Amino acid sequence: MLLAYVSLEIRRTLRDAGFVIFGVGMPVMMYLLFTNLGVSGSEEDKAASLAAMIGMAAYGALGSAVSTGSSVAEDKGLGWLRQLRITPMSPLLVVTGRCISGSVTVLPAILAVLLAGGLVNGVELEPWQWAAVGGLLWIGTAPFTLLGLGNGYRLSGQTTGVVNMACNLGLSVVGGLWIPSAVFPGWLRAVSEWTPSHRFGQLGWSIADGAAPRAGTVAVLAAWTALFGAYAVYAYRRSARTP
Amino acid sequence: MTTTVSFTRAVKAFGAVRAVDGVDLEIRRGESVALLGRNGAGKSTAISLLLGLNEPDDGEVRLFGGTPHTAVRAGRVGAMLQDGRPIPRVTVRELITFVARTYPSPLPVAEALELAGLTEVAGRRADRLSGGQAQRVRFAVALAGNPELIVLDEPTAALDVEARRAFWDSMRAYAARGNTVLFSTHYLEEADENADRIVVIDRGRVVADDSGERIKRAVGGNLVSFDLAGTPTEGLRQLPGVVSVEVRGDRALLRSADSDATVLALADRGMVRGLTVTAASLEDAFLSLTAQSSSEDAAPAPAADTTVENTTALAEEKV
Repeated sequence: MLLAYVSLEIRRTLRDAGFVIFGVGMPVMMYLLFTNLGVSGSEEDKAASLAAMIGMAAYGALGSAVSTGSSVAEDKGLGWLRQLRITPMSPLLVVTGRCISGSVTVLPAILAVLLAGGLVNGVELEPWQWAAVGGLLWIGTAPFTLLGLGNGYRLSGQTTGVVNMACNLGLSVVGGLWIPSAVFPGWLRAVSEWTPSHRFGQLGWSIADGAAPRAGTVAVLAAWTALFGAYAVYAYRRSARTP
Repeated sequence: MTTTVSFTRAVKAFGAVRAVDGVDLEIRRGESVALLGRNGAGKSTAISLLLGLNEPDDGEVRLFGGTPHTAVRAGRVGAMLQDGRPIPRVTVRELITFVARTYPSPLPVAEALELAGLTEVAGRRADRLSGGQAQRVRFAVALAGNPELIVLDEPTAALDVEARRAFWDSMRAYAARGNTVLFSTHYLEEADENADRIVVIDRGRVVADDSGERIKRAVGGNLVSFDLAGTPTEGLRQLPGVVSVEVRGDRALLRSADSDATVLALADRGMVRGLTVTAASLEDAFLSLTAQSSSEDAAPAPAADTTVENTTALAEEKV
């Protein structure tokens, strides 16, 4: 039952041209542009290319994770969520299925950017580092999936699209996924430290440095996950209440 | 026969509006029942209580002797909700296959598609179909799990005549397998042709619950109206064919099962002044049915900006 639902949702997402172009194609294209225009090939550039690869993979994953919520809002508008409630699937199973399918659909963005880094830009990492970067970025999307779901359950379809887009861009930029936060003015850098997106990127950046993520990073991410999780549950309950 | 659906004094209010206001209803296994009512009469709310999408504020709703939730989880219910549209980016077959897989003992997908008349479009995207085909997809979603009870909320709204007939053919085929069917509609003819029993709902209450034949007779075939010009109204109810008499201002409205006989009798008495004969609309039907229920229950007449002088004929027929 769960498998049937997850596979249905994954198919629907991967057939969405908008998702494939903006969720997967865009991060790859931005990564290749940022790292190949006016680059001399120095050691410094290599480090920047590595950091950008992780930043763009994180940006792509974040966008895909949040967009899970946009399709939930779309389903709500079509009456599909109500229809699901009168199938034998329990609400918990429906939400779990959405989280699983959402977590699978973030993989293409991560893998596409990492592949572009390794094959096109010649980024060199140890095999364990590749695996750890991919794996941690995958797990780390949890808070963003929950944020997107919360918006999707609470808001109408169109509003969700706009709000999720704003969340995606805002978090990515302020979190330093596009431009390293090291070049931010002091106050913005301080804000950036506390964003889930910056800590999300750090999961990958610390692995690239050959170190495990710091406890602070994990703690901040866990706190955001708990907060967005509570928001998603609250939003789901509210959406179930309204006729 | 076992009881499939039972409402016991069920009440559901949204703010000050009592959308379902003390409904008692029993549906036995294998019955085809129509829930007939105007827009806003409480049909959809009653259905959402039945499916466990809403909880009653008071009273009780049971399905197969348990709660609606239990019956839904056990896969004994399938439903076609109002305003549902097929989801994008899946084919018809994929969608029906998914729904079938959520049920414990579903119909074979090919059979569900066949029953709903979707075999030819099974490979097409569910969101790129005509209105009639989309409606069939929603019907297939409701029956894919092979549920014992199928609930259809205004299944033919926005369908053309052709699509409507095809839809009811499919529905009757499903009912003929021994399944229980409950559907809502605001067309009396549709209820009469496709249900064994019609439950008329008005203002959140059941105002009539009978076979289509009796309901139609109670409603009366035609409405004969004419100017009274001050003549007394006594005796009008005794005229041939007359089922009920209403007076609106200086005009008499006679509901008649035999309008020819009624008009001839009026002519005999020289009462033909500005006479019109029209088919009784559903609006008229509800007026007579609600008047009937109020005379039986001694409750205040619900829609009373008109005077209903005689409802005894209706009441007798009900008994």
